[in-house]
Amino acid sequence: MTDLYDIRKNLTSAGILICFNGPFSHSIIEELGKAVKKYLESAEIQKSAMMDVFSVYIEATQNVRNYANRADLDKAERDRLNTGIIVIAKRDEHYVVHSGNCVRSDHGQELVRVLDGLAAKDKTELKAMYKERLHQAVPAGSTGAGLGLIDMARKAKEPLHYSLVPEGDGYGFFSLQVVI
Amino acid sequence: MKNLSIPATLSSPQVQGNEAEALLCLSGESYPENTFEFFSPILAWVVEILGRDNRPFTLELRLSYLNTSSIKCLMDILDDLEEAHRKGRQVNVRWFYDAENDRALDLAEEFKEDLTLPFEILSIEAERHE
Repeated sequence: MTDLYDIRKNLTSAGILICFNGPFSHSIIEELGKAVKKYLESAEIQKSAMMDVFSVYIEATQNVRNYANRADLDKAERDRLNTGIIVIAKRDEHYVVHSGNCVRSDHGQELVRVLDGLAAKDKTELKAMYKERLHQAVPAGSTGAGLGLIDMARKAKEPLHYSLVPEGDGYGFFSLQVVI
Repeated sequence: MKNLSIPATLSSPQVQGNEAEALLCLSGESYPENTFEFFSPILAWVVEILGRDNRPFTLELRLSYLNTSSIKCLMDILDDLEEAHRKGRQVNVRWFYDAENDRALDLAEEFKEDLTLPFEILSIEAERHE
């Protein structure tokens, strides 16, 4: 096993403030969220920047939870897919929220297509898309409003970075990086 | 028809619906685990009051943070109020925000721009618990 000292050294040199890797539950999202807020309050950054980091953190983690709760997944798949990693790091004057989770390859490819579509839009087009979605009915059985990714793209100070790494057996690791 | 009373949790707002006054108040933060389930009885309560008579309806909001699913649910409530307003009902929305929280103001303005009903955005001094 890698020495804990090395893990800590790597986290610190990468500017990582908060890191969680494991199964996401709602209470873990709440508790980590509280820690994120406490930390940012003590860092005395602008309240709006703090709210943006918190908001991206919530959307990213709840996306993983909502995905694992999709009706078309079976129990074993859900347990596998509910595991994720969330990292909040400081880079120069920005905060970066990274989130990653295991996805079924077909779902991952669909997600990458959605993000490619968002990447082609400017802030005005993203707002129009967000507003249109806001007044549409949510499909029956859906666990989310389909607004989270658009919202993150609107708040991000740089284009969203995302990738899908195949893990074999029809699954892949999806990761998303949002700069605030 | 009952009053609505839901206590706040870390991730869900306090909800108080007063049937006699046709007044609904939401305050706190909103990112509950199952947002649609959380808001469903609130939306049902509003729809029932709007469908029953033509008394003035007031919505008071003191929300500092909403996740996107909560924003969607609140928009659904506001869309219903907007429809009632267009049919001639008196509807008032009052959004109170902490003067230090720009994002709560931005959020209020984004809701307001989609509506024609009376929508007041009011700044409150930050409450300090020291």
